[in-house]
Amino acid sequence: MEQAKSIWNWLGRRAENILALLLFSMFVTFILQIVFRYFLSLPVGWTVEWVTIAWLWGILFGFAFVVRESDVIRLDIVYSVMPYGVRRVMDVIAGLTIAAIFLYTLPASWDYIDFMMRERTAYIRIPFFWVFIVYIPFAVSVAVRGLMTAWAGLRGTGPTAVPDTRAETHDYD
Amino acid sequence: MIDPFTLSLILIVALTLMGASVGLAMIAGSFVYLIFKGFDPSIASETLLQGLFNNYTLLAIPLFILAADIMNIGSLADRLLRFAQALVGRFRGGLGHVNVVSSLIFSGMSGSAVADAVGMGKIIINLMTRDGKYSHSYAAAITAATATVGPIIPPSIPMVLYAIVSDQSVGFLFAAGMLPGLLMALMMGVMNYVMARRHNFPVDEVVPMRELPGITWKALPALMLPVILLGGIYGGIMTPTEAAAVAAFYALLVSALFYRSVSFKDFYQALLGSARSTASVGVLVAGAITFNYVITRENLPVSISEFLGQYELSRFWFLIVINLLFLALGMVLEGGAILLIIVPILIPSVRAMGIDLVHFGVIVVVNAMIGLITPPYGLLLFITANITKQPVGRIIRDVWPFIIALLVALMVITFVPDFVLFLPRLLGYQG
Repeated sequence: MEQAKSIWNWLGRRAENILALLLFSMFVTFILQIVFRYFLSLPVGWTVEWVTIAWLWGILFGFAFVVRESDVIRLDIVYSVMPYGVRRVMDVIAGLTIAAIFLYTLPASWDYIDFMMRERTAYIRIPFFWVFIVYIPFAVSVAVRGLMTAWAGLRGTGPTAVPDTRAETHDYD
Repeated sequence: MIDPFTLSLILIVALTLMGASVGLAMIAGSFVYLIFKGFDPSIASETLLQGLFNNYTLLAIPLFILAADIMNIGSLADRLLRFAQALVGRFRGGLGHVNVVSSLIFSGMSGSAVADAVGMGKIIINLMTRDGKYSHSYAAAITAATATVGPIIPPSIPMVLYAIVSDQSVGFLFAAGMLPGLLMALMMGVMNYVMARRHNFPVDEVVPMRELPGITWKALPALMLPVILLGGIYGGIMTPTEAAAVAAFYALLVSALFYRSVSFKDFYQALLGSARSTASVGVLVAGAITFNYVITRENLPVSISEFLGQYELSRFWFLIVINLLFLALGMVLEGGAILLIIVPILIPSVRAMGIDLVHFGVIVVVNAMIGLITPPYGLLLFITANITKQPVGRIIRDVWPFIIALLVALMVITFVPDFVLFLPRLLGYQG
């Protein structure tokens, strides 16, 4: 059990590394793009494409593996004033609903992504399949987390999401 | 049989009220709509993926977040504060004015009110409350209030979000925020002066005029960023999205070279923190893009426009209603959610009223920012409460005068479009 936990934590930190690296690559690519275009007059199609891929991956991969429950943007005005028992019921219903919907639509989404094997991106020429595939772990993670929320609600062990008002979770507002 | 659209709306509202992620609720609602319509549910995942992939402008968001996070690890804030103190500390309620001015300068470098409150907040609050000059709650209240200027003065993340949903130019929106931001700062300065007289707040130590050049010189690298950004965008050298990357690069350069205050570890933490925020706001954006497909399919914006058309509201009353609506929404919703969910529904109505969409954008963003300091859900109040360890209730009491000051500014911004559009027109905006 101890060992499983330490492997889990290790994986979590590697996921953080990847996410930070994605943003770093966006940052560097943008700077390159400006240098290429204005100082070297070189074409820059691939830079635009790379940053959009990194952005898409950053969001879906990041939400799946790095974002904590407390970072998630929610509207807690009703939820937070409910008594503990009601919140548990809400957790179970919301968790199960989200999990059910994302699991039920997974095959259809897979079909679409699989179909996109035939189309390639304009500059880097990789099949869109490899760009969009990140949706699958995202959807699975959403479903698993939904089930975990529901399970915690059933057993009454969950933190029942306390909204986070720490600043660093909101630096886009 | 309940129709699929109503069903999806009910589902989204129910899920969000039960504490689910707003973004996920909207994606789930879109799936349910498609399933009950008998369509292929993969239309939703397709819309989500293509929408994120094809909206290049959105990429400004992570980089503006990163720029602000880098500036907040450096000692940039200290230098700016010293500069503001030398400038306006000599007047009654001095540190209150310093607060206003430093927020104003900081807002020219960051695109987020929250980053503004965090960056300047801790230092200026310490400065104000040391020796018991100002009450903790007043310091917290004025810091929260002045932070709202952050996204009005360019750069601005909320303006980028608005640009996406309204299909307007980010450059013109940025320019349109300039004068309104200055007006808001002015109004809060006046309010601080009034409060200072009433409560007999002290004058700060006067920085001799001969020290001003030296202090300005030290703050200069930080003061140059807005000039570089705006010059770059309006000079046609870079897109607003690229400007965001330049801002991050410049902040890193200045902090590392001039102020020597960024370690590798700090930089990594800033990257990770920004990426994390990007992912959580990104899912909200993804949800909005996905559900927007449903809204467009159902022609909801047109129905609303026709519905409002029945009442034959004059432009004046329409704007009053819109402001009240957004202020009410701002009390319970986050700024980003208001911009992404509510605005697209209203755009056709706004167009039908003959209201300029750049002007409307500024109105909406100012409303959303005031929403950040209105109870019960005023994010900036929580943040400054956290810094000062004061109960939110006491800060709310002290923030009211500033809300009133901002509402006066909002009225001017709403009803004098020429004031808002003056700069964009100067830069070639046809509207």
